[in-house]
Amino acid sequence: MIKPESIEDMETFLALSYLLETESSDRYEELADNMQAHHDPEIAHLFRKLSHYGEQHASEIMEHADGLVLPAVASWEFEWQNPEGPETTPFEAIGFHMTADEVLHIALANEKRGRDFYAHIAEKSPTESIRKLAAEFSAEETEHVQLLEQWIADIAHKISARPEDLDPPNIPE
Amino acid sequence: MNDLAKAKTYKSEVKPIWCPGCGDFAVLSALTKAFAYLDLDKKDLAVISGIGCSSRLPAYLSSYGFHGIHGRALPVAAGLKLARPELTVIASGGDGDGFSIGGNHFLHACRRNLDLTYIVMDNEVYGMTKGQASPTTKPDWVDSPLTPHGTGVRPFQPAAIALAAGASFIARGFSGDPNGMTKLIIDAIQHPGFAFIQVLSPCPTYRPEQKLWKNQVSSFPHAPTDNPLEAATRLYADDGMSSGLIFQSQYPAWQQTSAVTASIHQFEEEFIV
Repeated sequence: MIKPESIEDMETFLALSYLLETESSDRYEELADNMQAHHDPEIAHLFRKLSHYGEQHASEIMEHADGLVLPAVASWEFEWQNPEGPETTPFEAIGFHMTADEVLHIALANEKRGRDFYAHIAEKSPTESIRKLAAEFSAEETEHVQLLEQWIADIAHKISARPEDLDPPNIPE
Repeated sequence: MNDLAKAKTYKSEVKPIWCPGCGDFAVLSALTKAFAYLDLDKKDLAVISGIGCSSRLPAYLSSYGFHGIHGRALPVAAGLKLARPELTVIASGGDGDGFSIGGNHFLHACRRNLDLTYIVMDNEVYGMTKGQASPTTKPDWVDSPLTPHGTGVRPFQPAAIALAAGASFIARGFSGDPNGMTKLIIDAIQHPGFAFIQVLSPCPTYRPEQKLWKNQVSSFPHAPTDNPLEAATRLYADDGMSSGLIFQSQYPAWQQTSAVTASIHQFEEEFIV
């Protein structure tokens, strides 16, 4: 297992950063599909929006890789603080009839972990250029955290109780 | 294309209808990542299942698949592997399908040691039929009206029974650790023999208390062994909530040794039609 903070070359660091964002974005997409399958278009739409932002972040990372050949890396080769990358929503975090507020709090927790992940690399990496870029990424993640906090505040007045499930799945027949 | 992008190509257009929060999502994700990592050609890959929530798996993959009948994933998978040994064959299903209805097939699949991977998503409940006790349900689970005082029956021990029956690769994964599971699936597919993975896969609908598994599952506290006695001793002391590769030996995988000696027509002549 590789400790992310021990990465010495820029190519591997960028490959890891790209992996982290795409894993997160893919997971939002899977969760969106799941909510769509259960007829919750509003929450599905929100997850898709988050997935789209993740894709944008991944593209921005690739801009730093111009002219470099990135190695193939796999998520399970790295020692994360969580079972998966820091910005990846665990499958078990969601449930039927979520509110937008709950979804945004999940996203907020993901972004905070991403911010802390890059901040840790910015502090610990043995390579100066990686430390510098990681600090940039951490600052970007801090902006995402602030945006999400604002988003949550903006919808606070609209928050209603979890919608009543008129057809719950677990009533024994 | 990186492995994550490649992994998506192993998914079909059919979107899973599993309940949000179901552990089976993580198995699907881990499987596709393992396929991508091993660079398996979809035309050489078949996923065979029985019946149950988790047995929907082949529909969500773009490989060849067969959603068969209850408890019969392994006989179909075994037949396919014998007929087409060059294929990578994965059998999958749930604890009811694999250990109750298909329990006998499980024993003999372990014993034959065909080169298959069998993944059982174990949530200790029959979810598709709305929450009845399964072979792996603890005896004191009282939340089903069918067993209001619990089953009172000791649960089936999948890993120990696989070991006793002769499986050559025995592992336990946890859906809360998709990366760990991906690695186990890669190892299982690469293992030349019957590879069994019991996946602790919570059912958030009928067993919501299983959400706490993420705080209870730990790594199997031993390095894998090829010594069945040692593995048995470890499993006897195990609480069933640890994940990792438990046992791996190099028993020879069983394969068909003789060439086909009769034509279909000759077979048909043996039957009265």
